[in-house]
Amino acid sequence: MTPRGTFRLGLVVLVAALAVYPAVGTGYGLRAVLQIFMWIALAASWNLISGLTGYVSFGHVAFFGAGAYTGAILITRAGWSWPTAALAGGLAACVVALVIGYPCLRLKGPYFAIAMLGLNEVLRALVSYFEGLTGGGNGISLPTLEATVPVYYAMGLAAAAVTLLTYLVITSRFGLRLMTIREDEVAAEAMGIDTARHKLYAFLLSAAGPGIVGALAARDQGYIEPISVFPLATTITMIVMVLFGGKGTVWGPVLGAVVLFVSQELVWARFPYLHQLLFGSIIVAVVLLMPRGVLGVLQQRYHLPRTI
Amino acid sequence: MNVAITPAMLGQVVVSGILAGALYAMVALGLALIFGVMRVINIAHGPLLMLGAYTTFFIYQALGLNPYLTVPITMLVLFILGALLQRTLVYRVVDAPELSSLLLTFGISIALVNLAQLAFTSNLRTVEYVTGSYTLGPLAFSKSRLIAFVVAAALAGLVFLFLQRTRLGKAIRATSQSREVAMVCGVDVQRIHRITFGIAAALAGAGGALVSVIVAIQPEMGQIWTFKSFLVIVLGGAGNYPGALLGGVLLGLVEQLASLFLTTQLSEAVAYILLVLILLVRPTGLLGGRQT
Repeated sequence: MTPRGTFRLGLVVLVAALAVYPAVGTGYGLRAVLQIFMWIALAASWNLISGLTGYVSFGHVAFFGAGAYTGAILITRAGWSWPTAALAGGLAACVVALVIGYPCLRLKGPYFAIAMLGLNEVLRALVSYFEGLTGGGNGISLPTLEATVPVYYAMGLAAAAVTLLTYLVITSRFGLRLMTIREDEVAAEAMGIDTARHKLYAFLLSAAGPGIVGALAARDQGYIEPISVFPLATTITMIVMVLFGGKGTVWGPVLGAVVLFVSQELVWARFPYLHQLLFGSIIVAVVLLMPRGVLGVLQQRYHLPRTI
Repeated sequence: MNVAITPAMLGQVVVSGILAGALYAMVALGLALIFGVMRVINIAHGPLLMLGAYTTFFIYQALGLNPYLTVPITMLVLFILGALLQRTLVYRVVDAPELSSLLLTFGISIALVNLAQLAFTSNLRTVEYVTGSYTLGPLAFSKSRLIAFVVAAALAGLVFLFLQRTRLGKAIRATSQSREVAMVCGVDVQRIHRITFGIAAALAGAGGALVSVIVAIQPEMGQIWTFKSFLVIVLGGAGNYPGALLGGVLLGLVEQLASLFLTTQLSEAVAYILLVLILLVRPTGLLGGRQT
C-alpha cells in the first residue's frame, strides 16, 4: 500500500473509532475528546487567517464569545434548537469579522493585529453593558438539557469541517493566492490578486468556526458569563497550538491541539500561571528556533507533501 | 443616562482629557520609536509599563522614597531591560516578516505578565502618596494626574530635543529613515536598535511610575496600554512623532467625554470604535504621513 493509502486508511479508522466512542467511553473520556474537538476547530480556524495570510489575529476568542452569546440568547429568548442556534452563532461571528475586517484588512501592516488585540475587551465590555439582552455580569443560564453525546458529534463535525475546509483551501487556487499574500503582498498585488478581498474572505472563513463552536460550548456548559467566554487565554492557546503544530499546514493545528491539550490536562492545569508562562515561552521559542512548527520540520526532513 | 451636562462638567472633561493625554502621548512615543526605527510593533510595551509600576512600588515600599523621585531609577531599570530584550530576542526578528515580530513580542508579553503573577501575585498594590486635588473655580485638578501631566510632557519634550539635537538622536532618526544609508555613514545600527528599544522601554517605565500613584497596580494592568498607545499612533499618523502628542490628547478627551455619558468600561469601547473609524476614513492619521 502506498504511504498515502495508509494515511487515508488510518484516517478512516480514526474517524470510525471516534464515531463509536460515545457508546463505549466513560463520561470523563467523552468530555476530554469533546474538548479536543473544540480546540482542533479553534486552532484550525486561527490557522486559516494567520497561518495562510500571515495576518496575526490576537483576538480570535472574540468570535468564540460572539457565537456563545448569540447561541445562548437565541436558545433562551427565541426558543431555537441548539443546532440552528449554533449555525446562527457562526453567522454572527462572520458579521463581527466583516465589521472589523473590512476597514483593517484593506491596509497592509500591523493595523489588523492591533485591532484584534482590542476587539476581545470591547466585546466583553459591550456584553456587560447591554444587560437587558445578555444578563450583564450575571450571565445567561441555558435550560437544562442532557445533550453531551449530540454535542460531542456536533463538535466532532465542526472539527472535521474546519480541517476539511483547510485542506480544500490549501489545495485550491484561492489558498495559493492567500499564501502569495503571506510571502509577498506587493508581489501578489502585482500579479493581479485583489489582496484586500482575499484577506477578508479568509478572515470570514476563520471566524465562522469559532462562532459555531462557541455556541456549542455554551450549550454544553449550560451557563455563560462575559469572563468565561472572552478569556485572552483561549486566544493564546489557539496560537500556541498552531505555532507548535505548524502554521499554514492542514494537520499542524490538529497535532498541536491534541498534544497541547493532553499535556495541559495531565500536568499544567495545576499550575495556571506557570502554564501561561510556558505558553509565552513556547511562542518565543517556536518563532525563533522552529518557525515552521513540528509538522513543518517533518515535512522538510522527510519530503512529505504540502497537504500533510 | 439622565444627567444634565453643565458647562462646568464639560470644562472638567477637557481638563481631565488633556491631563490624561500627555501620559498617553509619552507612553505611545516609545511604541512609535520602536516602530519607526525597526518596523516592529512591540506588543510587550504595556507589560513593560506594568514592570515600571512595580519597580516604583517596590522602591517606594522598601525605601519610602518619594515615588516621583523613583522615575529616573525606574527608567534606568527599564532601559537596561529593554536593551537586553533587544539584544537577546528581538534583534532576530527585525528583518523577519511582520508575523514573526508580532508573535515574538506577544510571547514576551505573555511571559512577562505571568512572571509578574508568579513573582508579585495578583494582589492589588497601591502607592498612596499624593491624593486630593487643586480646585480652580468649578474645575478640579487631581494632584497626582497634574504631576503626571507635567512629568510626562517634560519627558516627551526631552526625547524630542534628544532626537533633534544630539548626534545619537540624529543617528536614531537616520536609522529610521534608511538603515542602509545610516550604515554607510558609519552608524552602528545594532547599537542604535538596542538604544531605541531601551529608550522606548524607559518611557513605558516612566509611564508605569506615574500611573502607579494614580491607579492600583496588578500584573494585568499593562496590556490595555499597548492597545491605547497604538491607537494614539494611528490617530497622529504612524511615524509622525509630534502627531503622537495630538493623538494622546485626543484619546484622553474622547475617553473622558465617553465616560461622562457612558460607563468607564464602555469608554474603552468608544476608543476602539474611534480606531476602526479612523482606519476606515483616514488610515494615514489625522496629521497624515510619515515625517521623521
